[in-house]
Amino acid sequence: MITIKHEGCIFCVGCSSVCPKSAIEAVGTRMEHYPERCIDCGICVKVCPANVITLYKGVKEMKS
Amino acid sequence: MKYDHDVIVIGGGPSGSTFARIAASEGMDVLIVDKRKEIGVPVRCGEGLGAREVISQGLELPKKCISAEIVGAKVVSPAGKEIIWKDKQTTGWVLERKFFDKWLCELAVDKGAKVKTYTRATELIMEQGKISGVKLSHGGRDSYDARAPLIVSAEGMESFMARAAGFKTVHSLYDVDTCYQYEMKPYDHENLIELYFGNELAPRGYCWIFPKSDRKANVGIGIGGNLTNWKKNGGIDGADPKILLDRFIANHPQLKDSSTLIDFGGVISVGAPIDGFVKDNFMVIGTAAKQVDPIHGGGIAIAMETAILAAKTAVAAHNKKDFSSQSLMPYEKEWKDTLGKKMAKRLLLRKVLEKLNDDDLNHIFNSITEADLNATMEGKFAGSVAKILAGRPQLLKVLGALIS
Repeated sequence: MITIKHEGCIFCVGCSSVCPKSAIEAVGTRMEHYPERCIDCGICVKVCPANVITLYKGVKEMKS
Repeated sequence: MKYDHDVIVIGGGPSGSTFARIAASEGMDVLIVDKRKEIGVPVRCGEGLGAREVISQGLELPKKCISAEIVGAKVVSPAGKEIIWKDKQTTGWVLERKFFDKWLCELAVDKGAKVKTYTRATELIMEQGKISGVKLSHGGRDSYDARAPLIVSAEGMESFMARAAGFKTVHSLYDVDTCYQYEMKPYDHENLIELYFGNELAPRGYCWIFPKSDRKANVGIGIGGNLTNWKKNGGIDGADPKILLDRFIANHPQLKDSSTLIDFGGVISVGAPIDGFVKDNFMVIGTAAKQVDPIHGGGIAIAMETAILAAKTAVAAHNKKDFSSQSLMPYEKEWKDTLGKKMAKRLLLRKVLEKLNDDDLNHIFNSITEADLNATMEGKFAGSVAKILAGRPQLLKVLGALIS
């Protein structure tokens, strides 16, 4: 599961362009996450230039 | 079937507006929808554009769109050696994108295109097995249908409708750069685009300084998407674009005391274009089709050139009343024969560059001249490669790909 810290988001939509499941979309002026489509792959976490996306639970490498 | 428009263009950036301008001027009924509240905002771009591409379209940029004129480029090696390079290729502008995009869009409106802002295409309408329109929503509500025999995705990086139409527009981490950028002031520049290379500085990318008006500059970094912050999967610990950019600035004699005026960031495509750009009743143009320069990540120029090809094809298809993939194919074919060939060379160069370590890069900077660099950027690699190999034959394994 990912969370987006919206206050730090610079709205570059990078996460949405790499998400293989279209689980993040820009809606209005904010990125919305659709957990039902998300497969916890973490690609968005890696690509986010503002470092505001966190993947948690069950994915060990993201704990730090 | 009753249509509301001849073509619906999704996205009012440089490719969408250019397409719309040409299609509308040839008599097509064009609707542009853009999800943003204001065309051109927010800016998520380094804002550089070569002069050639604009002049070749017979356009004259209004003053407000130009922030600074560029007379050349300065590239800097990891060890700090500078090569300054001035020629036709490097002449251009750093734009004010928010004015530039809006101006391009207004040109389309002047030719008769209709634009709707804050309007998102949410899904494709399929009828009798054919794409026949899109569902639109204004500000997340008031959903309604708009029908047209041709849908053009000029959606940029997100490319949702192109995905819905079956194009493989999702980017792999390897084929994107993740970027952070500040607008900074004061910075006294020489109207040169400055690029700083080094694997420690910016893994598989570079830092840039793009001069702007009033002693301002866009100062940014792009690094390989697969190399960020995540040791597993080949990432580098601590490789976070913002952290690395802040370090670059802290070590820069002039910028270290400058202020930041804007934070922006983004992800740019630096891979190959998607396989095909057309399907029945559907075209993909610009960044949505990954038509972006793999070396510098610039998309505006290619987007505009592409839009011209695509619009010509669309007008011909409109006149024939045939929007089948076969009828739309001339755009794809012509693109692959012209822009595609150029892009393939740049992609090859990118893939070679990313194999080089800082020591190799320093050697290369010491071996080549401004003229060599010029030829290399035009896709003529042989001269530079020969000079580099003379001093370091072991690089043949890496550079060989450029001359085979």
